[in-house]
Amino acid sequence: MWELLLKSRKAMFGLAVLIVFILLGTVGPLFVGDPHAMNFNLMGKPPSLGHILGTTSYGEDVFSQLCHAIGNSLLVGLIAGSLGTLIAVLVGAVGPYRGGLADRISNLVTNLALVLPLIPLFIIIASVVRGLNLVLIGVILAVTSWPWAARSIRSQMLTLKEREFVDLARMSGDGSVRVVVTEILPNMFAYIMMVFVILTGSSILAESALSMIGVSTTPTITLGYMLYWAQHETTVPFWWNIWWWFIPPGIVLTIILTAFFVIHAGLDEVFNPKLRRI
Amino acid sequence: MEQNTDQRLDREDSNSPTAETPSSTHFLSKLRELLFSSFAKFVARKAVFYIVVIFFSVSLVFFVIEAMPGDPVAVMLASGNPPPGADINALAEIMREYFGLDKPVLERYVIYLWNFFSGNLGQSYHFFPVDASTIILYYLPYTLSLALPVLFVSFFLGNWIGARAAYLKGKLNETSYFTLVFCNQLPPFWLGLVVIFLYVLIFRNIPPIGAATQGVIPSLSISYFVDLLEHWILPFLTLLVVYIGAWATGMRSMVTHEMDSGYVRYGEQLGFKKRKLMSYTQRNAILPQLTGLNMVFNGIIGQTLVIEIVFGWPGLGLLLYNAVFNYDYPLIFGCFLVIIIIIVVGNFLIDILYGFIDPRIRTGHGG
Repeated sequence: MWELLLKSRKAMFGLAVLIVFILLGTVGPLFVGDPHAMNFNLMGKPPSLGHILGTTSYGEDVFSQLCHAIGNSLLVGLIAGSLGTLIAVLVGAVGPYRGGLADRISNLVTNLALVLPLIPLFIIIASVVRGLNLVLIGVILAVTSWPWAARSIRSQMLTLKEREFVDLARMSGDGSVRVVVTEILPNMFAYIMMVFVILTGSSILAESALSMIGVSTTPTITLGYMLYWAQHETTVPFWWNIWWWFIPPGIVLTIILTAFFVIHAGLDEVFNPKLRRI
Repeated sequence: MEQNTDQRLDREDSNSPTAETPSSTHFLSKLRELLFSSFAKFVARKAVFYIVVIFFSVSLVFFVIEAMPGDPVAVMLASGNPPPGADINALAEIMREYFGLDKPVLERYVIYLWNFFSGNLGQSYHFFPVDASTIILYYLPYTLSLALPVLFVSFFLGNWIGARAAYLKGKLNETSYFTLVFCNQLPPFWLGLVVIFLYVLIFRNIPPIGAATQGVIPSLSISYFVDLLEHWILPFLTLLVVYIGAWATGMRSMVTHEMDSGYVRYGEQLGFKKRKLMSYTQRNAILPQLTGLNMVFNGIIGQTLVIEIVFGWPGLGLLLYNAVFNYDYPLIFGCFLVIIIIIVVGNFLIDILYGFIDPRIRTGHGG
């Protein structure tokens, strides 16, 4: 399984890109200095040798902000992705395994939550919750974005639970939680990983969207935070004059999301032999 | 046994008023009846489900907003101009009573639900005394005029491009794959900024933000329509690029998958023309694509709401965004209700479409 993954060019390519950004986001901030340090002699200067991505209209270094933003955005993604995956597994795996009423309830809740319009809900929730921070946003995103993941895990569960090895485990007297944890989940590991990858990517996107439109403004720098301030600075007549401020976060965001998608596609090819030739 | 069934058939024929018509038509009408009854059941089941969805989400939003810190009356008083020398506290009391904010939460919840299902959204706090529904009906066409064209155009264009991309060979294939994925992963709200930036670069002009140039009065004239179109085209193109990427990525992998299947190889051996085989694979690939319609529809509505805020396009997204900042409860509830109804109606129609296309879904097998 892991050898196949190593051979998948897509997955490796995506992973390589992601590792570069993870390094930039974790190690980078140690070298770039304070992202909020204002230099009033250098307000809104285009890229130069001293500031490789130029400065903001308050004289802050864009590259320094970008490094901090990458780290924080990835952190939100990690929190929301892992928590969302956990919820999806709980709802999507345990319900169908128990069958009966538990299954029907979990299925109804999943289908119901699947139709809810997430973005208006985010806007409302984010404006209600006071004192937002990264962890809280991660939790909000996780609580709202698990349904499709639960559905795909559920369908996987329904096919797996009919297999012989599950029957054998059940006949040997294992409890249902034990069977799910020790027999079924390891076999779904690939799917759970794919769900995790997609949830992480979509959470990073959602957080950026919310920060950018200014609903969930936290004091922490994320990619969306940069986009928000790039639009709302007041010292320049038009925000589009400082293009080196709002272009880099978006490009970084797109590349990170593409990397996540490509990793997902690579995993899909490796674990779904039917698709392997694509 | 055979004789028995023959007799039964004979008797049925003689009993039915359409005994003269050939039995095949009779059989067909029976079949249609059966089909429609199962179809009706399917539709009814879906309808009940979606009513539950509306009920649930509307309740959810009520209680979320109840938890909202901040007093709408205080915001209203701060934004308005109370007459000099007026007793602010007495004014606040009167307003609370007028808007029914002095009642306990549960009582308000019941009133709120009752008003919703009788179609009364109440008066907006911020734009008092205008009804929330009047404001929403003004903003609604703008959202739909953006979301629906994006849905249809991206579906046809994206699937067309995706199917073509699957036939590319070698390096070109890989390049097209990464290009499409990249397009799909572009964050629409940021792409909007880039589109505005490019507009400024190319035309050296103030970009068309909002729905009309300042001073242009909405009227049934060509100049107004052109002005409107100018403002509409940028958000439209922004969303279109992203969703073409979405459809094309899916279609490309579906067609590639189909190209690998038995019937295509068999067709190749028989010497079918490439065009013919292409049309077969595309037709088979489009069905799984349609199952993604639900998700994409929900996604497009959501992204439209965000894009409206970026471009200042006066749709429901912008309205909701402003209402949230103004603590305008009736408008927040109303906007959310209308958005959820758009989503529910869209999903309901898509479900019915599936039912027509794929009979397995409406009978419950594999659905």
